[in-house]
Amino acid sequence: MFSKVLVANRGEIAVRINQTLRALGIAPVAVHSDADAGAPHVTTAEQAVALPGNTAEETYLSIGTMVQAARDCGADAVHPGYGFLSENPQFARACREAQLTFIGPTAESMADLGDKLRSKEIARRAGVPVVPSSPVCLPGDAAAEEFAEQWGFPLLVKAAAGGGGRGMRLVNGRRELDADMEAAGREAQAAFGDGRVFLERYVANPRHVEVQVLADGAGHTIHLGERECSIQRRHQKIIEETPSPALTPDLRQRMGDAAIAVAREAGYVNAGTVEFLLAPRSGEFYFLEMNARLQVEHPVTEAVLGLDMVQWQVRIASGEPLTLQQEDIQPRGHAIECRIYAEDPYRDFVPSTGTLLRWRPPSGPGLRLDSGVVQGQEVSIYYDPMLAKLIAWAPDRELSRRRMDVALSQFLVLGVVTNIPLLRSVLGHPQFQRGQYDTGFLEWNPAVTRPAMTDESRMMARALGAWAAGQPVGSLAPVVGSDGPPNVSPWRSAGERRLP
Amino acid sequence: MTQSQGHGQGQMRETYPVPGEVYRYGTEEQEGRFTFVLEDDGPAGLAAAITLSIQSSQTGDGLCRTESGRTRPFAWAWVGAELHLWLDGDLFVFQRPETRRRGNNNATEASGDILAPMPGAVLEVLVAEGDRVEQNQTVALMESMKMELVITAPRSGVVRRVSVQPGQQVDRGMRLLELGPEIDAEGDGGG
Repeated sequence: MFSKVLVANRGEIAVRINQTLRALGIAPVAVHSDADAGAPHVTTAEQAVALPGNTAEETYLSIGTMVQAARDCGADAVHPGYGFLSENPQFARACREAQLTFIGPTAESMADLGDKLRSKEIARRAGVPVVPSSPVCLPGDAAAEEFAEQWGFPLLVKAAAGGGGRGMRLVNGRRELDADMEAAGREAQAAFGDGRVFLERYVANPRHVEVQVLADGAGHTIHLGERECSIQRRHQKIIEETPSPALTPDLRQRMGDAAIAVAREAGYVNAGTVEFLLAPRSGEFYFLEMNARLQVEHPVTEAVLGLDMVQWQVRIASGEPLTLQQEDIQPRGHAIECRIYAEDPYRDFVPSTGTLLRWRPPSGPGLRLDSGVVQGQEVSIYYDPMLAKLIAWAPDRELSRRRMDVALSQFLVLGVVTNIPLLRSVLGHPQFQRGQYDTGFLEWNPAVTRPAMTDESRMMARALGAWAAGQPVGSLAPVVGSDGPPNVSPWRSAGERRLP
Repeated sequence: MTQSQGHGQGQMRETYPVPGEVYRYGTEEQEGRFTFVLEDDGPAGLAAAITLSIQSSQTGDGLCRTESGRTRPFAWAWVGAELHLWLDGDLFVFQRPETRRRGNNNATEASGDILAPMPGAVLEVLVAEGDRVEQNQTVALMESMKMELVITAPRSGVVRRVSVQPGQQVDRGMRLLELGPEIDAEGDGGG
């Protein structure tokens, strides 16, 4: 087993990894940018290495600096978390060359799976259905024209190196194709350092269901059940749950088997997630991609299985066998995760920055909070606006939904705008209550992206606003401008499509 | 618990989540029970009288109880000139009306400045000084928190000045471009 592990990440996931490492008796080493010097992922580690600079490129995305930091502190291994360098095969290779164990799959399978087109080929070989797509192409290429001709619009343009919705756009017609391909390419270049894009057939109103797999170095591969991730904005998940309300035992079995087949075909080792599109009603599913890393939403799986996935990642990476068998995987109860973002759900999800003047998360039975921030912290422009994840477990779905709603109503955040009211509107929506929803939920239900408070609440707030304005509470740092100019158009991304 | 003070009458503007009209309020206090009379002249104006018992701490936390006995927690903080109020899960933002320039919702449009809606980096400026732009035309691209943000012209006009360059980091509210007046007097600048 390792004695010291560098956690090459920040925010809630680095905090969460630190917790497991410490529980295993391993010393976690944090890395941090200038802006993150006092952040929770640093204070929960045993040691910290400063990465000079603030932008992600200078710090958490810099392979050379990261490997040097791991060497300098004497770490035996590196945990990449998710995002940043977690799916970068060059980083995995650089770790290996520096005699550092990379806690994740091999650089080779990561490279195969990270390339969306090669990963589809792997799924095809494993006998798993895939969504039709074009080869990598540039705006105006014959391949792009032919694909658009064959499948029509709308279609998706995706980054070959993509993930998390970045570099992905929904193209509504021929006129927008070139511009959307260029924009997606730019976004992909900025986010992944790889601007290659391709086109994919757009499956209307699918569910997004993914299966967690675990595999050890000896080829023993199991799946840990599914996660339903269909509640998304701008193609990024905001609410996830397990079990999926859409799966029958038979479908669950077939998707689990398909996930294992893909992982085996890819020679996959460690924790990974196979994402599927599930077509409405027909129950047909298509391989979408395999994420060669820990997922943001892994805690819902942990909640229903009572296991620590990061612990298994570390054990497998250190060469231990996966002692869990498929029949050991018996989920209990239901878990929902909500991602708390610093963004304005009523203004096209525009990120919100500022100082967290108040930050008081809820607690209670069945609740788990994975947070990367503390009160007083600055929410900066440099990184992802996700502040925390709240997970509610209960013996059944309805109770976990209610627990989540109560907890969100008690979650006090002041200083930045958050998506909490939107999350509550989704949880309270009849379609969500019945479990009948797909990835178009927000587009089909635009009411949830409008303020939902009652007139009584509003009047009470106005009264309290008038009252509080007369109270002697010191004013904090001023913000520039007023409540923002009105010249902001919707984010130019596929998620903004307004359906008729 | 603080002794409340400074009440009586005044005006506030609700700016979030529903950008509302200026509303007037009058308050009377009797032993920690506040009666508010609220009036709003807007088209969908809200008018009401509410009596609340309010308890609060020095840290900006409070509990209010309605006449019907329902108790709801709240908290507040000033963010610059904005009063942020958290009430039982919802966020509201208020301003004193005088802090708004001329009390005009279209102040930024009228002045001709196109401001950065949030901090970030300028990716591209798609127009040059002297260019004529149409309302809603894309004039610049910004990146913030890894997302691309499209900046559009709030009205038609001529670009009088470009204040930023690609690659430049900007703060929220910083001027990106300045729009001169419309050449065509028939164009309606209202968005």
